[in-house]
Amino acid sequence: MIYLHARMTPARGIRADVSQGWRRTIRMTRVIIALLAALSALLGTEPGGVIAASTEVSADTDGRTHWSFSPRARPPVPAVRRLRWVRNPIDAFIAQQQESRGLTPQPEARRETLYRRLYFDLLGVPPSLEDLARLEADRSPGWYERAVERLLEDSRYGERWGRHWMDIWRYSDWWGLGDQLRNSQKHIWHWRDWIVESVNNDLPYDEMIREMLAADELYPEDLKKLRATGFLARDYFLFNRHQWMEEVVEHVGKGFLGLTFNCAKCHDHKYDPILQTDFYRMRAFFEPYHVRLDAVPGEQDLARDGIPRVYDGLLETPTYRFVRGNENNPDKSTLIVPAVPDFLGLRMSEVQSIELPRSAWQPERRPWALESYRSNARRSADKAASKLAQARARITLGATNQQERAELAAIEAASRLANADLESVERRIEAMRAAWARTDAGPACSDCERKERDASRVAAQAERQAAVAKAAHAVCEIELTQTRAAADKKDGIGKELKSALEALEKAKAAAAAPPSPKDSYVKLTGAQWTPTRFLSSTADDPVVAFPPRSSGRRKALAEWIADARNPLTARVAANHVWARHMGVPLVPTVFEFGRKGTPPTHPELLDWLACELVDSGWSMKHLQRLIVTSSVYRMSSSTLGAEADMAKDPDNRWWWRRSPIRLEAQSVRDALLAHAGELDLTMGGPPIPQNQQADSKRRSLYFFHSNNDQNLFLSLFDNASVKECYRRNESIVPQQALALTNSRLVQDSSIAIAKRLAAEGRVGASRTSDAAFLRQAFSVLLGMNPSPAELAASDNALQAWRASEKDPAGQDAPTAARARLVWALINHNDFLTLR
Amino acid sequence: MGFTGLALGAMLHRDGYALDAEAWTPPTGVPHFAPRAKSVIWLFMNGGVSHVESFDPKPMLTKYAGKTIAETPFAGAQDPKKLAIERLVVPDANGNQRNTLYPLQVGYKQHGQSGIEISDWFPRLARNADKLAVVRSMWTTDSNHGAQTQFHSGRNMLDGEFPTLGAWVHYGLGSLNDNLPQFISLGTREYWNLRDGHYLGPAHDAVPLRIDPENPLDFGKSERPIAPEAQHVGVDLIRRLNELRGIEYPKDPALAARLASYELAFRMQRSVPEVLDFSRESAATQALYGIDQSHSRDFGTQLLAARRFVERGVRFIQIQHGGGGAGAWDAHGGLKANHSGLARAVDQPIGGLLEDLDQRGLLDETLVIFATEFGRTPGSQGADGRDHHIFGFSVWMAGGGLKRGVVHGATDEIGFHAVEDRHYVTDIHATILRQLGLDSRRLEVPGRKRLELDHGKPITEIIA
Repeated sequence: MIYLHARMTPARGIRADVSQGWRRTIRMTRVIIALLAALSALLGTEPGGVIAASTEVSADTDGRTHWSFSPRARPPVPAVRRLRWVRNPIDAFIAQQQESRGLTPQPEARRETLYRRLYFDLLGVPPSLEDLARLEADRSPGWYERAVERLLEDSRYGERWGRHWMDIWRYSDWWGLGDQLRNSQKHIWHWRDWIVESVNNDLPYDEMIREMLAADELYPEDLKKLRATGFLARDYFLFNRHQWMEEVVEHVGKGFLGLTFNCAKCHDHKYDPILQTDFYRMRAFFEPYHVRLDAVPGEQDLARDGIPRVYDGLLETPTYRFVRGNENNPDKSTLIVPAVPDFLGLRMSEVQSIELPRSAWQPERRPWALESYRSNARRSADKAASKLAQARARITLGATNQQERAELAAIEAASRLANADLESVERRIEAMRAAWARTDAGPACSDCERKERDASRVAAQAERQAAVAKAAHAVCEIELTQTRAAADKKDGIGKELKSALEALEKAKAAAAAPPSPKDSYVKLTGAQWTPTRFLSSTADDPVVAFPPRSSGRRKALAEWIADARNPLTARVAANHVWARHMGVPLVPTVFEFGRKGTPPTHPELLDWLACELVDSGWSMKHLQRLIVTSSVYRMSSSTLGAEADMAKDPDNRWWWRRSPIRLEAQSVRDALLAHAGELDLTMGGPPIPQNQQADSKRRSLYFFHSNNDQNLFLSLFDNASVKECYRRNESIVPQQALALTNSRLVQDSSIAIAKRLAAEGRVGASRTSDAAFLRQAFSVLLGMNPSPAELAASDNALQAWRASEKDPAGQDAPTAARARLVWALINHNDFLTLR
Repeated sequence: MGFTGLALGAMLHRDGYALDAEAWTPPTGVPHFAPRAKSVIWLFMNGGVSHVESFDPKPMLTKYAGKTIAETPFAGAQDPKKLAIERLVVPDANGNQRNTLYPLQVGYKQHGQSGIEISDWFPRLARNADKLAVVRSMWTTDSNHGAQTQFHSGRNMLDGEFPTLGAWVHYGLGSLNDNLPQFISLGTREYWNLRDGHYLGPAHDAVPLRIDPENPLDFGKSERPIAPEAQHVGVDLIRRLNELRGIEYPKDPALAARLASYELAFRMQRSVPEVLDFSRESAATQALYGIDQSHSRDFGTQLLAARRFVERGVRFIQIQHGGGGAGAWDAHGGLKANHSGLARAVDQPIGGLLEDLDQRGLLDETLVIFATEFGRTPGSQGADGRDHHIFGFSVWMAGGGLKRGVVHGATDEIGFHAVEDRHYVTDIHATILRQLGLDSRRLEVPGRKRLELDHGKPITEIIA
């Protein structure tokens, strides 16, 4: 049946070049298949290829003409009456719908509002006082566009928009039970840094997809690009391969294509022409991949650092369809080969196995790999030597004090150990190079084998000497402890000492043994696979080695997804970008573009945006520049004076006004610190652990964030779920009010902000300057001009606080009262709202 | 519309879902049909309570102790076809079948008019046998502790994450009392079972509370000193400014929800500590809950708090007992010491809760459920333990319009398989929803298709 399916493929797309003759043949074939299917159903055959093919035929009758499955073409920009409103074609598409419905767009938002909107939207932080001063100074036309250009080049842009893609791509720091890694990867933050850098560099979106899915096949020697495969390394699950694979298929489908392959795990998709087999065909692309950590230059210890990345290690693992999705019931009659569903009318290039450069599968051959061992061993030896020199200066050689003598002996032993370790590393490096020289030269080199053998023997001996030094050091340490211990503890230590001495004797005996051809040494490595426990939860599975070839499957898939002709990829991405800028997507079901999804409100606009994305070389910045400079983006969100429009379109489906957006979790916290002048803009690196977050001033995207560890404050504002977050929630719940009124973060920030505002405005505590302070506080914190009523209410509160409060936070009364006022404005609805 | 309905409505409204008039509207907070119960107290024993040593006596285990199952007349229990319901998430040595039958570690007596057999480890609960509806024929599919999640959401972890029963109730019924959160979690939750709302949104997560009137709620009181008068000035100003914002943004549903959320927050801040202040509860009442005894104090305090929440109209109180590791009841070894000790910690509080609710006339409108993720194997693990067992186990429910003093369903003679009136965990959900007047099919959310098995079927045999 697989054969039949393959033969059918060319004709079943929507290609025009298929001959009529072919079509007739296919139609006949389908009739035959249907008959076969009916027959097998009658005979009670287990559903397999035959039944699947029959469903395929029935699915063909619908679904293929679904809007999002059809090829994308650049729609003509409509002619509209409201010409002056149209800043770029986006507005024309919007105006067309407005006009046909008799809606009038709201005027442009006030400058302060717009400026605040743009900063939060592009950078995730509010404009600083200096930024606002710059705005004040620039009254010439084009001020807005200049601001846009400036912000798109600001490195904070990559953090805000990187976080957006981290949501969709399911970024998660590692989690497990206690110290046991069960999900995602240690050091997965390298992938986060790749995302932020890529967004800042405007790396084309198609290239992002290719690197995330297949950098190991496309750029096997480029560690920086390999970081991208954290996308797949993140799906690692210690215990269960099926769950792992199913998550990959589900989220590659939802994230890049807006397709719910996951609905076809147990049966054919109920709405889209995705067969159950297609789910497993998709899985087959990923079946061979596994996860490993690659050493970074300067650090050989993978517990401390390393790049989580994928590699094809399970090249022989077959993929089978699971009958009714039950992993205990694979249909072994048919081997599933990787293939993409054909209803999108785009064929995938053939899967071709890829020969990898040696350094990819022998990562210890990377130039820095062994050097890291050497330089770290040397550093340790130098450190031990200088400690020894200090100790010798302090403790005279003939010291009579037993404790001091023991201390000196221990330090001497430590230094000997560090030197022996260095020696062992040096000799092992030589031995490994000798081994490479032999394999690289092949049989031509007559001398190589002997050299390798000699070097290997020397390395093994050096390793044994290091073992002796280690055992000797252990003995000295115990002796030192003994001299320091109380009398009643000495017995126990004596036992410890005895076994340490025995171990030392053993090590010495091993080192003294005559050399043997069996002598071997522990190899230095440049990478390590991440062990799984699929077979038993109590022991690691057999090692998955690094093969010299990769299957090429993911490369083929990545190229198909990132193909400009793929009808879904650009549409799905453009919809995500629009949604984050505008608050409301064009297709509300952002991960479901199939027939169960909701169709776009403005299909031509979506296609036009998708075409702009592709035709600009997949430039996100280009797309975003178009969106944020459009008139529809710049409208006011007010409904005041628009009662008629409100009555016609209460949901603002046709964009007669801007829709307000609730700030995302990261922006709420970052804004508090930014206003306080305390935000630490250090970029990248390992995540801030939970126990340091309360005092950290780093941006929120750098907080450790996993299924288990989530920052409480951020989680109350709908922080991303690491399992799935194609769109943030925008809940409004009482716990948010509690966090904003009661948290130390808000209360301390309020004081800092009040002081900054006072300093900036150079105002004292007199009544008139209170008015100036209030105007500035409303403007800076909320981007609004207070009305007389708002000013009066605020001023009353200010005076009440000044009169009543006895200086709780060590502030003078004017500052304390103003800090209260700032605190109240942080609790204003519009602090959390992009108007 | 309840508060959460308001907030959710504001968001979905914006997405244009509300425009599809025929398609979907958020729940109104009004039950779909006449409810029999108003509140739920959900007691969940983490780790897996041995059904054969609590509510499902199996003397055959003692009779054939030391024999392998294959050597007994019940060898058919190990028919691979019957074992195929298992969907393993973790390839654990746990969950393996334990072949050698292990004798009962505790005696049983019949209790009350109903004569329900309850093990001697639960003496106070046994005095309330005539209030219980015991279901002895539960089954589930995950033989590791992911079954905790499964019992709450109805889905095996392999399927992903789904809203829990409490979240559905919260979503469907909204609020009885706007001074308190409507879905409360007490006790320790295991890390794989931390949240409830999932695709319904975090607004439907249980609000975790601590039994500490000084600090019961995250951000429940100011982390920096502020005088009450100063707080009042601030609260009034926040309200006033948000109201004034309505001039430029009339009828903004988010603004309205924000105002409401602040009112509720300020009331919660006052009300929660008041509920957790037991100073007005008599010594006799506190003793009834076992608060006077150190071994039962923690759980007793939680159950007394639960009663006080129920009195104030809180919908759903979810209490997890036995945190740490995979759950304290996880008696792979030393079952007798483990279970007898834990039973001692929960028995007096649970018995006391049932008696207290009853004497206050609250039991009729409050549904109490005692559940656990799975039972334990008829065979022994190691010298003196039992392993995880998904094929048959027990839960019980009480009050809320259910029959009193009944036993429903049965396992086979060694407690291996549920054989009579088998019930998957969602049948418990369906029973509870029905008593609350909710039709789970009318709670579905666009784009989130639920399966038949997710809805379950109410256990009509135990409904009065």
